Amino acid sequence: MLPKLYINGFSCLTGDAQPAELAAFVEVRSLRRAEQISKNALLCAYRALAQAKLDKTDHANMGISMAIGAGALASTLKFMDSIIEDGDELSSPTAFASSVHNSVSLMLSMFLHIKGPCVITGQMDASLAGAFLTAQQFLVRNMCSHVLVVLTEDINPLLIEQIQKDSKVFDPFIYQPQAPAMRLSGALVISAEPTQVTQFVLDKVQLSRIDDVTTHSQPQLPICSCAHGLLLLEKYLKENAVFSMQEQFSGSILHIEGKPYVLL
Amino acid sequence: MTFSNQVPVAGMGCLCACGNTVANAFNGVLNADAHFVLPTGRVTSTYTNKYPVFLVPPREYKDKPADMTFSQFFFIEAAKQAFAQTGISPQQLDSKRVGVIIGASVHPSFHCFPIYRHWKEGKLSTQDIAELKKYLATPLAQWVSNYFHFEGPFQTVVTACASGTDAIGLAKNWIETGLCDAVLCGGTDEITESPYDGFIRLLVSTPQRCRPFCKTRQGINIGEGAAALLLTNQKTAQQLKLPCQGYVLGYGNACDGFHPTAPDPQGIGLQKALSFALKESGVQLQDIAFINAHGTASQANDSAESIAFNTILPHIPVWGSKGATGHTLGAAGAIEAVLSLQALNKRLLPATVGFTTPDEKLKLIPTIQHTAIEKRYAVSDSLAFGGCNAAIVLGASDVA
Repeated sequence: MLPKLYINGFSCLTGDAQPAELAAFVEVRSLRRAEQISKNALLCAYRALAQAKLDKTDHANMGISMAIGAGALASTLKFMDSIIEDGDELSSPTAFASSVHNSVSLMLSMFLHIKGPCVITGQMDASLAGAFLTAQQFLVRNMCSHVLVVLTEDINPLLIEQIQKDSKVFDPFIYQPQAPAMRLSGALVISAEPTQVTQFVLDKVQLSRIDDVTTHSQPQLPICSCAHGLLLLEKYLKENAVFSMQEQFSGSILHIEGKPYVLL
Repeated sequence: MTFSNQVPVAGMGCLCACGNTVANAFNGVLNADAHFVLPTGRVTSTYTNKYPVFLVPPREYKDKPADMTFSQFFFIEAAKQAFAQTGISPQQLDSKRVGVIIGASVHPSFHCFPIYRHWKEGKLSTQDIAELKKYLATPLAQWVSNYFHFEGPFQTVVTACASGTDAIGLAKNWIETGLCDAVLCGGTDEITESPYDGFIRLLVSTPQRCRPFCKTRQGINIGEGAAALLLTNQKTAQQLKLPCQGYVLGYGNACDGFHPTAPDPQGIGLQKALSFALKESGVQLQDIAFINAHGTASQANDSAESIAFNTILPHIPVWGSKGATGHTLGAAGAIEAVLSLQALNKRLLPATVGFTTPDEKLKLIPTIQHTAIEKRYAVSDSLAFGGCNAAIVLGASDVA
């Protein structure tokens, strides 16, 4: 039986982190070269860590388990743009370096001084589940004392344009076409033992596979493939109630059970 | 929870520029024989007449179904080899909880360059839409899980060039924590325009064959391929009378938080990852036959690794295999793990292909000739962009 996970801090962001919001935690100028998804992830992480009330020395022994559904898309597209528009001999090495999935986790480890294990999961809508599984493994194997679980998802203008033209173009991957395209991010600070500030306990986190990909529920989000689960989780945490969350995605089911934690 | 820290490898497979099985790839490494060519025909780039890469030979994918990507095909081929080695079919694991963890970098990104180009040009076709649907539908590990009709958890690890090592380490942990009875794990990657042009534009690629740890090293050659390992718990291995190709004994991981593309110069994160993996394995330094280094032949990587090795694993022979295989990105850690297990089982440590001249700044001379080995353990490590470091400890098939 895998251990329970205790949530000691949680932050979710719909849309983009604004400079004024980031300024509460960091010199904004130092982020001038960071991609927006990195800034979004960083703001969520700062807020979640503030709730968790961890000492800075705890950061050295903290892990990062990150979910990023389709990678660092803005940089990936920027690099492809630079090849198409300027030719490969003038393509942007900076955009290439930022296009790897690790570019976001680097911002977290660099700015938050995190030196523990770091694994990134990238598998569309099932990414968050992978991130939870990894965080659980980090803790049960004593690879670190706390894990910063981070999700950050970029937007894909190509997909958005096609869906706006024809909402059923990617059936069975139907997204809400009328919603504005926006980035989504979130961060949780979790531990295997409760702390003085533990807010929630997750009794069960399980990912299983299903064969029939056509029966999945429709994420009510625009092209934000791995953020749906996070937003649902946010809803339950805000309600501060016992919950059993079972999200059916394209080929998988994520099952999370949790309840508010009461310090005895 | 207590752990045995000894997860058996029942089967393994490999497909890369050096060979189409683990045995052939190992022989390719021993003979420095690889498909090291200019990628004309595979990649559209003005650099294809100058920068060669380590490609899987076309004869190996002549039967690739049109609806599979190279990354998918390479991994499936390697996985089939792994099952063939076990003597069981994937269906014989039907009653077991079988997970899939795969490390990759290209496939899990938006790997749709031709489609994107068509879109930019206003020429998106119905075929392009079909390809996009395929892209949305096929996260790699999930696709492999579907392919073999497994029903356990799946995870596509995208920690760039450390992904393959992370996949094996996490698979070990999934088994030890009881999440799965068996895990098909490994790594796969393919060469496309993005990594090909990207590494050249970062000025870390070389037109010559790479020379890990050599004073005259000038950079990396990227490559492609896959390796798959079937890990099981002891009970499953006994029930199904599975053979044993070796063991995964320890896994460590730590990040540098230092630079987007360079490791910490002192290899601080790597030192931490190596220390954790060693401690977890319980293996003593004097019992380690060799370290399979990440050894990309970039200035920064080889320098950081040499410091980390001299600090944590002093006086242990270091083998760099990328002069033989190329840097296969997300597949590298998995390919190097199966080659390391083969070296342990064959009791033969290969020379570091490409190395000729010691670099006094590194204080490290890698293997310069094939050498017989008696010790039964090895360490393999991977470093990645973003300062991610991973290490695993492996044991030969006869260590139990």
